[in-house]
Amino acid sequence: MSTPQYVAPESLEDALRIKSESGADARLVAGGTDLILRMRDRVFTPKLLLDLRRVPLTAISCTAGEMRIGSYATLSQILAHDEIANLFPALVEACRPFAGPPIRNRATIGGNIVNASPAADLVPPLMAYDANIVLSSISGDRELPLAEFFTGPGQTVIEPDEILTEVRLPLMPPDSAASFIKLGQRRSMAISIVNLCTRLSLAADGTVATARIVLGAVAPTPLRAVAAEAVLAGNDITTALLDEAAQQASRESMPISDVRASGSYRKRMTAVLVRRALSAAWGELGRNNSNG
Amino acid sequence: MSESNVVGQWVPATGAGDIVTGAARYCPDIDLPGLLTGKLLYSPHARARIRKLDVSAARQIPGVFAVLTQADIPGENNYLYSQADQPLLAIDEVRFQGDAVAAVAALDEATADAALRAIQVEYEVLDGIFDPLVAMKAGADQLVEGEDNIIMNQVYRTGEVEAALASADVIVENTYRTQWAEHAFLETEGGVALVDEEGVVTVYSSCQAPHRDRMQIARTLAMPESMVRVITPYIGGAFGGKDEAHVQMHAALLAVAAGRPVRLIRGRRESILTHVKRHPIIIHCITAATREGRLLAVKARAIADAGPYHNATHEVMNKFGEFIGGPYSVQNLEVETIAVRTNNPIGGAFRGFGAPQAAFVYESQMDDLARKLEIDPLELRLLNGVETGTKMYTGVVVREGQAMKASLRKAAEKIGWEKRDQCERQPAPHLRRGWGMATILKGSGMGRGLGDHAGVVLEMHRDGSVVLLSGAADMGQGIITILAQMAADRLGVPMSSVRAVRADTSRTPDAGSSCASRQCMVSGNAVLAAANSIRDSLLSVAAGKTKISRDRLDLRDGRLQVDSEPHALTIEELARRALFWGYPLHAESKYHFEYPADVPAGDYRFSQEVFQFCTQIAQVLVDVETGQVTVERLIAVHDAGKMINPGGVYGQIEGGCAQGIGYALTEELIVNEGRTLNPSLENYVIPMALDIPEMEMDVLEIPEPVGAPLGAKGIAESPIIPTAPAIRNAILDAIGKPLYQLPMSAERVLTALDG
Amino acid sequence: MADRDIQMNVNGLALKVNSGPGRTLLSALREDLGLIGAKDGCSQGDCGACVVLLDGQAVNSCMVLAPQAQGRDILTVEGLAENGVLHPLQRAFGETWAFQCGFCTPGMLMSCYALLSSNDEPSREEILTAISGNFCRCTGYQAVVKAVQQAAAEIRASSSGDGEQGRAPA
Repeated sequence: MSTPQYVAPESLEDALRIKSESGADARLVAGGTDLILRMRDRVFTPKLLLDLRRVPLTAISCTAGEMRIGSYATLSQILAHDEIANLFPALVEACRPFAGPPIRNRATIGGNIVNASPAADLVPPLMAYDANIVLSSISGDRELPLAEFFTGPGQTVIEPDEILTEVRLPLMPPDSAASFIKLGQRRSMAISIVNLCTRLSLAADGTVATARIVLGAVAPTPLRAVAAEAVLAGNDITTALLDEAAQQASRESMPISDVRASGSYRKRMTAVLVRRALSAAWGELGRNNSNG
Repeated sequence: MSESNVVGQWVPATGAGDIVTGAARYCPDIDLPGLLTGKLLYSPHARARIRKLDVSAARQIPGVFAVLTQADIPGENNYLYSQADQPLLAIDEVRFQGDAVAAVAALDEATADAALRAIQVEYEVLDGIFDPLVAMKAGADQLVEGEDNIIMNQVYRTGEVEAALASADVIVENTYRTQWAEHAFLETEGGVALVDEEGVVTVYSSCQAPHRDRMQIARTLAMPESMVRVITPYIGGAFGGKDEAHVQMHAALLAVAAGRPVRLIRGRRESILTHVKRHPIIIHCITAATREGRLLAVKARAIADAGPYHNATHEVMNKFGEFIGGPYSVQNLEVETIAVRTNNPIGGAFRGFGAPQAAFVYESQMDDLARKLEIDPLELRLLNGVETGTKMYTGVVVREGQAMKASLRKAAEKIGWEKRDQCERQPAPHLRRGWGMATILKGSGMGRGLGDHAGVVLEMHRDGSVVLLSGAADMGQGIITILAQMAADRLGVPMSSVRAVRADTSRTPDAGSSCASRQCMVSGNAVLAAANSIRDSLLSVAAGKTKISRDRLDLRDGRLQVDSEPHALTIEELARRALFWGYPLHAESKYHFEYPADVPAGDYRFSQEVFQFCTQIAQVLVDVETGQVTVERLIAVHDAGKMINPGGVYGQIEGGCAQGIGYALTEELIVNEGRTLNPSLENYVIPMALDIPEMEMDVLEIPEPVGAPLGAKGIAESPIIPTAPAIRNAILDAIGKPLYQLPMSAERVLTALDG
Repeated sequence: MADRDIQMNVNGLALKVNSGPGRTLLSALREDLGLIGAKDGCSQGDCGACVVLLDGQAVNSCMVLAPQAQGRDILTVEGLAENGVLHPLQRAFGETWAFQCGFCTPGMLMSCYALLSSNDEPSREEILTAISGNFCRCTGYQAVVKAVQQAAAEIRASSSGDGEQGRAPA
């Protein structure tokens, strides 16, 4: 490994100033779980390692109609957070089978996003919950939908002087349910063959007000299957409708073949798992209604 | 005599205290003054001619102490497992991705890496040979010019196969495919070499065969074996993958060249790319039976991808041929075993030596046959199973064979085989449950026609403490623990009094390789003989002192026992008196397993004679929409003859089953045109804790009459062998569709469902 | 500042390592402090052989940069025994044959220790989850479950009784 410099500033202001001065030469150190590998393989040869652990970016709070999760919050932190479990259970479900405990104790929500892996497990639920992210720089913050962040594998719209500081999740309307499913080759330490999250929010008349179908590992970036969502929107849910949406989502996927699975298997699984996730969400709405 | 308080007990493994405190030193933990880091430069190509190799720039880098190519090797530039055809450093051509081209030793890892990058190699990439079916055809491109790509083609026949096939009521005929499988020992291969003050080249070696390593190192260095010493520190697993030497010779060459100690450890990626794999084999198999289900004949043809070098291909394919008939009394058998050279990974030893591939075939055939005959799979196996006295198709007579049917019955009873249909077969619309069994036999030992022996030295001191010197490498399987237990038992001392030394060729006698489930048998017998000779001295002293006849005396709990009651005389006192009066308390013993001097014509030459039997039954749940298979239950009933240490036996069984589940469902080295695409523990998918069901294990103890110390026999290989076919048969039971290829990935299960 | 001193509290001792920033905590522990218990099984967080506790949490030390440990508490397998007395987990691992080759054991022990710190009566499922990042090729995981439950029972018994035997994890 080359020997970059290492700094751990005390404040976000200092961090942003360093980032603005060093730009792409500075790499953020978060959990380090991907960074160290890429440095060893010489994918990255940063001149400066910027460790933000002294900067308070790990807070999780629920205020003013939204949940705010600091970008340095670890997956273990999210897993243990009761409020997230209540309000955004699909996010917790995505954290649960993620790697194993030692990785979950280090890996951060921000790292999972910024790495821009097409198979990032946290992104489908975050996008299904219409998450926004906050990118900060010395010239100020900008907030944008997570769905607009990715441009390709490992590619995003983040500028060299920006730091992802926060993830913001709007509170879901009543009668909402989401379901995350991960298909991997084992129950831990598995990179997803397909991961996906669906959300249904119902209108007062019981029709679908909002549908979200977000697919992972089947396209260069996490993908919203918008045509499949359109199949559902405004309609009464029936089994046939869910099937149709699932088939449509599969058509929208554009998976590649790799060592984990073939593209055709992924495409087929997209249909199977979208239907399962939609059914699960629908089932939960039914349970909620019958309880209420 | 009362029951032993050492043998048969859950005694912690020798060295457990060091392991749980982190004090145990494995090769990567060995540090020495002036230690250099060794590294090897490997070929990026599956097949290429080396046009130019220039190491001059690397030699100029400050901190680089040695850079070696094939030209710098004073002795033999090759490995020697069976045939000397694999160079340590490539000569003019690289023949697979794991061929090393140059070796460096430098002050630290970064400098060694810089040296590797500074080595200039100009390759002329050649068209590789990747498909054994193409490579075996006449006129195919030759991997070694002037030599046939087929390096083994052996036909073994017994009985009248064609006549039996013609007379059969039922025939099952299928083609099977198995995959490259990776050992994934957690400690990668390593060696630490130094030249000691007497000029002896000393190598700490993570290995299975220290004495064979010594021979290989000596011939590489062109030094006498007397000037080479191999020490085994703690070893982090092997499973056959460290049977052949790996980096020990390179480390020794570098240490001699650099004049400083060198530690050479393969990284995980290098490890997966370089060492041998379980052979992928394509097997065509015909099994014939009467309508009552009696097996008439088995005819098989197996084509193995050997990779570019011989390594253990002959040994593996011999065992494949030896076991393709399974634990059944089939008398007409023909098996053709063919191995073909390619530029793919090297095939070699891996727990079971070809028996897992054979078992996948014969146990799948049995279930296909059972379905065709509409006979219960358990009944079909019981009908055909070998028994004590059965003459096998190999010519070997089974000396003790009760465990074949006993393990079947016990496993069936444990899972509730008869009542399985009371269990829900379709717990959800997309789920199907099924049950499948597999039963196998596997021999222990080297086999007829091969030397099978081990030596041991045992010494008791005047305080009653004992040193046990065995050259058997302990890679975690616990051999030195059970040897110490046997010694402690015979000498009447507690385990804490026996210090078992890890193999060190300068002190411990040759025990051969820790492979083929053989050490319990050969080294165990050697220990018993040595211990009995010391015991004899102690009892003679005791008889003289007490004037009590020998047959009333015993040694136990550190004391003399008279009529099974403790006596005032301690072992310590007996030892002191024995040494004073000149009785020997030092014994060296060599045990040689006696195979028949002449193997009758038609009998199988390398057959083993002491058999491990076992049955496993799997209960699986198949998701018919995703193809994913969950193993819900796994019953494993194994025959150990006699358990010396139940902890070790259960560990071997559980670990073997876990490996078997991986082999069945997820483990596959994916190789495309000679390139391994998943050389990591991330992408070579091995079961983790949450992927393994709670295993239900049972051990039968039916003492083996010949060659088995205290009735005990090897247990190491058998646990992995039946797992994959048991799961395969359970999937068949669940979905009604047979699979013929390993691993049975979700995608392949789905394909089977579609078909 | 190419190199600099990093101060860490390792197994209760304030120790300083001089380390380049590209180095990992694993390499600092093994090479600078001679703590060779944590193992390098894959160098990329896949196997868990290098697990140590960082401020009480199990982490893969091959995935932590040495400077990230500045000022923090590290517990390695060498720190489990106190005054030469094995922790109940260590003893239980030996007694139940929760390993064969032992290469995974230091990491496995630390994952289990982290679990027992927050859960003194873990279920089979909880134990399996706690070690789901620790790879064992020899034995599998059932014996580890047995060992952890045996140790947990011992710790509970000693903390509810006179507390003479064993000690509760911090």
